[in-house]
Amino acid sequence: MTGTSQVAPAPEAEPTTGDTPAPSPQGRGWWGSLRAGSRRHNVLAGAGAFVWLLVVGVPIYSLLVATIQPYEDYIASNPLVPPDNPTLDNYVTALNSGLFGFVWNTLLVTVAVVAIVVALTTTTAFAIVRARTRWTTGIFRVFLLGLAIPLQAVVIPVYLIINQLGLYDSLMAIVLPTAAFALPVCVLILTGSMRDISDDLYEAMAIDGAGSVRIFVQLVLPMSRSGISTVGIYAALQAWNGFLFPFLLTQSEENRLITLGLFEFQDQFGVNIPALLSAVVLSAIPILIVYLIARRSLVAGLMGVGGK
Amino acid sequence: MSLTTTRRRLPGSSGSRVGRPGAVWALPALLFFGAFALLPLVLVAYLSLTAWNGLGTPDFIGTQNWEELAGDPAMREAVGLSTALTTLSWLVQTPISLLLGVWAAGPQRNRAILSAIFFVPLLLSTAAIAILWRALLEPNFGPMSNVGWFPNLLGDSPSALLVIVFVTAWQFIPLHTLLYQGGARQIPVSLYQAAEIDGASRARAFWHITLPQLRNTITTSSVLMVVGTLTYFETVLVITGGKHHTTIVPYLMYESGFVATRLGYASAVACTLVVVATAVSLAMVRFTGFGSMRSTREGM
Amino acid sequence: MTTLRTGAAGSLALALTLTACSGGGDGQMHVYMYQDSLAVVQKDAVERFNEDADVEAVVDEVPGETYEDKVRTVMGSNNQPDVFFNWGGGNIRPYVEEDMLLSLDDMMENNPEFEESFIPSVLEEAQIDGVQYGVPMRGTQPVLLFYNEAVFEDVGAEPPETWEDLLGLVDTFNDEGITPFALGGADTWTMQMWLQYLVDRNGGPEVFQQIESGDPEGWRDPAMLQAAEGVEELVNRDAFGDNFSSVSFTEGAASTLLSEGDAAMHLMGSWEYSTHLDQAEEFAENDLGYAPFPEVSGGAGDPANVTGNPTNYFSVTADSEYTEEAQEFLKATAEEEYVRDMVENGEVPTTTDAEEYLDDSPNPDFARFQYELVQDAPHFQLSWDQSLDADVSEAMLNEIDKLFIGESTPDEFVDAMAEQQQ
Repeated sequence: MTGTSQVAPAPEAEPTTGDTPAPSPQGRGWWGSLRAGSRRHNVLAGAGAFVWLLVVGVPIYSLLVATIQPYEDYIASNPLVPPDNPTLDNYVTALNSGLFGFVWNTLLVTVAVVAIVVALTTTTAFAIVRARTRWTTGIFRVFLLGLAIPLQAVVIPVYLIINQLGLYDSLMAIVLPTAAFALPVCVLILTGSMRDISDDLYEAMAIDGAGSVRIFVQLVLPMSRSGISTVGIYAALQAWNGFLFPFLLTQSEENRLITLGLFEFQDQFGVNIPALLSAVVLSAIPILIVYLIARRSLVAGLMGVGGK
Repeated sequence: MSLTTTRRRLPGSSGSRVGRPGAVWALPALLFFGAFALLPLVLVAYLSLTAWNGLGTPDFIGTQNWEELAGDPAMREAVGLSTALTTLSWLVQTPISLLLGVWAAGPQRNRAILSAIFFVPLLLSTAAIAILWRALLEPNFGPMSNVGWFPNLLGDSPSALLVIVFVTAWQFIPLHTLLYQGGARQIPVSLYQAAEIDGASRARAFWHITLPQLRNTITTSSVLMVVGTLTYFETVLVITGGKHHTTIVPYLMYESGFVATRLGYASAVACTLVVVATAVSLAMVRFTGFGSMRSTREGM
Repeated sequence: MTTLRTGAAGSLALALTLTACSGGGDGQMHVYMYQDSLAVVQKDAVERFNEDADVEAVVDEVPGETYEDKVRTVMGSNNQPDVFFNWGGGNIRPYVEEDMLLSLDDMMENNPEFEESFIPSVLEEAQIDGVQYGVPMRGTQPVLLFYNEAVFEDVGAEPPETWEDLLGLVDTFNDEGITPFALGGADTWTMQMWLQYLVDRNGGPEVFQQIESGDPEGWRDPAMLQAAEGVEELVNRDAFGDNFSSVSFTEGAASTLLSEGDAAMHLMGSWEYSTHLDQAEEFAENDLGYAPFPEVSGGAGDPANVTGNPTNYFSVTADSEYTEEAQEFLKATAEEEYVRDMVENGEVPTTTDAEEYLDDSPNPDFARFQYELVQDAPHFQLSWDQSLDADVSEAMLNEIDKLFIGESTPDEFVDAMAEQQQ
């Protein structure tokens, strides 16, 4: 379901599944293949979907309308009426409040988390799938159990450990635990995708006398490309959306991530809700860009475990 | 001692041992995970037996925190609220996601456009969504304050908790819809064709084909929901600050640890969270068969 | 191979960026400040300090809503600030108990003129067991009754002088469809201000002093019950409107209600004036009225007593690399330029010569009123949550919250608090 069932190594440069970014008009959904269910039109379901569309659409519309209104108009107007004199000032206000720095920090953290997670999980999954000793099975079990550890529950000792390492209030303080907590899901995804590589391929390389390093680099990595992109996106989302670690492990403005930045803007902008909401909109842009570039990987990453 | 000396072969591994990685390949990840997830787990259990204000060193006090926790009305309420939030979230999110997902898996022409709009909440982080809704519902300066008949949902109980249920549903339904959409796509069309030949109604087909076929998806989605709901934190922090009976267990942990500076007591609260989440996750592993060493291509 | 090398170099650079702490060891002296409209005074002082200091001082502004929690967390880390803003008293006691703060006794001894520039009673608030741990760095902050003069004129009302007047005004404004009192109930300490005054007016400062000394029976004092009943009466009469529990003070909502005329009055610390000066200048200059908290007839407390924060303090952490420079920086708080900045920002300094500057205030009348109120007060009660330990404070604030939103009766409030503190 996460695209792991396609194991043909794609020859393209990007590790995405190479779907066209815009949904085509025949409604080829997220998955690029149309399974015809029942052909009869279902009015009731359509109506239900329309109701949910309103539930999602109206707040988003109010959000966008609020951000292009001057504060004075906003205070006095009904949220559903289009604004008289739209302006982009609120976005300027948000950008001038250090938003760029927060996004930059978040990017740094995201890159580091993804690098750590991909490096650690590809090797681990390879060992789990191919070594098949009691040790690797045990390690796999540990990660399975690790799924159950909610990060909220261990944040106090994590705070203690980060302090002992002298990392409090640094970006690394966020990177390390965030990466650690993304590992279990990513190990699961990758072991799943590496099991799909057939034994014959391994045998063929082994007969050529390839050692495990060469097999890993030349066979396993290319063949689990879609799994790796899923893992990368999942880890990136964890870093991008994380709140509790930045909230409790960092403090200064220079180490502030975007989620915490938004939280602090609540105090800073106060009743200037248009500026606050502009910051909210801006915070979604990076994910939107990823979505436009790599839709399927993003969806797969979003689903994490559920994608299997 | 070397980790690779184990020569015991497990069933299912075939072929030569040439080119097989040693367990040492998995060691860095294990150590890293151990340092930031497993060690904290041990520490949190130890800290729950201490009195610690976060400044000095933790003092060992035995089971005092646990005794206090057992009789603490705030904890009892937090557990009740967490349970209520989890149950309500499941009741709201599952039927809606399931129906939307099944519908979205169908052949409608407008589906793609709608799906794109459904997807919007997924672009926002939890914190951003909480801030958005807090702003929308703010009773004095939010957009709703200009709509005369709109009640102050945030300043009352149980409406404050229901707001949390709604906001988290708004955030997560798109995700679960995707899951169900994927699940529904996996159902062989031949089943529906056979039902059609038998003259079964649409409702019957849904009840007797779609639902049973989605059994695994329902389990997966439900467990994700339950574990997720157990650990909501930002949403409560931003929208209600734990007021009006929204102090669920993770928030109580934060409040007693980082606001009231009783980190030992907060660790005891955290331990209960671990126990519950572990129980749920073990059930998850059992039901969804994650633990089995099957290829993903089998049984699909 | 080159890709490998650039990759390695890149990751190294990234790792270095990621581990850059902003705390100790970066060659800067960190000053933790509560983020609000008054912090500009301290920022200017830091700039002046940097002109000829060996070490660069930087201000880390911490948002108000989570300031105390954040400071507590950062003090527990090895990344402590060198100088930090606090409330003195019980607020810094835990740090003193862990030997985390630098004794400023020597500094005071070596600089008698510095020591003598502050009002002694204000200095005392930052002494723990007779040792000086803090230096006053802000104006005095009595809690006052602010009101919107324009709204009062419209209905022909006068500021309340007695509790009965106040209740009368509640009804008057409610009939006019105006919220009588703005109240930022999302931040519980704003509600605490009402209880503080009512307890002081009904029973005098001794009631809370008993509680502060660790005797939970203080909560059972009749004055405490009367105060809680007073709160109940206000809530029952809709004195705070329907939405008060979701109005945030730190986000400016409560003050905006007052300046927009949606609310007639606002019980708040004297910084409310600076807040309006910053957010609604016109209103601050023309329509912002102020009065002391009214008398309660038959109460044992002196109606001249005030509650609030005598001031805020700067303390220096014991482990700071820059204890010398930090103490040098602290001396700025008594310098003329600093004091003048405070006054121009609407504050009333706690220096002995504050009176000379009051005419430079953007609103000399307000400055003088505040100054005399504090000067003439027989007792100045520090905010409750600042004088109690954090865990007791948190429990108390939760109970106050319940009292205000009608989830507990005055009797239940008193019982719950007495039991909490056991």
